Amino acid sequence: MKNSFDEKILEEASDWLKVNQKVVLATVIQTWGSSPRQVGSRMIVNEKGDFSGSVSGGCVESAVVRECIGIIKDNKPFKKIEFKVSNESAWEVGLACGGEIAVYLEQII
Amino acid sequence: MKKQLLDQIIKKKKNKDEFAIIINITNGKSCIYETNKPIDKNFEKHLEQIKNYFEKKKNGIIENTDIFVETYIRPIKVIIVGAVHISQYLVDYAKSLNFEISIIDPRGYFATEQRFPDLKIINKWPEEAFKEIETNENSALIALTHDPKIDDPALQHALKNKFYYIGALGSKKTHENRCKRLKEAGFSEEEINLIHGPIGIKLGGKSAPEIALSIIAQLVAETYKK
Repeated sequence: MKNSFDEKILEEASDWLKVNQKVVLATVIQTWGSSPRQVGSRMIVNEKGDFSGSVSGGCVESAVVRECIGIIKDNKPFKKIEFKVSNESAWEVGLACGGEIAVYLEQII
Repeated sequence: MKKQLLDQIIKKKKNKDEFAIIINITNGKSCIYETNKPIDKNFEKHLEQIKNYFEKKKNGIIENTDIFVETYIRPIKVIIVGAVHISQYLVDYAKSLNFEISIIDPRGYFATEQRFPDLKIINKWPEEAFKEIETNENSALIALTHDPKIDDPALQHALKNKFYYIGALGSKKTHENRCKRLKEAGFSEEEINLIHGPIGIKLGGKSAPEIALSIIAQLVAETYKK
């Protein structure tokens, strides 16, 4: 059995919207291999790059923040991004654990 | 996602409804799915598959489609007997782990709003209190008074209703005596052995937050064993 171990990110998104921040919701929609967070894990990002929640164990959050700011700037409603295993290049964003994840970004409008 | 949909989702979560968030990841459309309610026209084509995912409490993209389903289930009900110091910390842990807590304590001086803000405490004896709470095999009991007058009737209720987790605070000796009383009350050894006593996993700590942590850890572990 599972409990609804919910992290209250949607509630936080609603609080951010109430103070007129732009909010992008990022949701893990697919995982392959040993990914750190399960499907349904969430984070939110505002136009300043403040964020809450997580979609990995800290591996790809910075890239997600960049992508979210991008879709606010371009006024795009949604976008799907994928992250794969990181290689040797230290500056490349990737999942050190060897998994892959797909994250769905959507602006709350 | 529209703000209006977000508000609806939050409301449903607050009401502890069972529902699913459905997103088409190719066109960005989203809606709420609930049993016995018509689904948004844009998703009618996938209704059967969505239903199937929902019934299995699954999260993810439905195979060979662009439809993402996220299922929300009702939180597990945890009944604590005893509005004691440990309970104050259990309430805090339970909030972040999303258990739904009810506290029973017939002793008015423990069960005060000042000690437990934002929580409904049932200020009655367990036999009466359980009439107000719907319980089943997905419920959990944490008995903390170590007073047989209060704990025993609650333990009996939990055993009869096949709670998936039953724990009782008290030393090994207290627990032995408790087992004897339950045996005399007609419960089998097999049933009595279902009670986690002394309650909690071994952490070594003796303070109220440490004991609360050991109890909540055991509860989470038992939840996933089920």
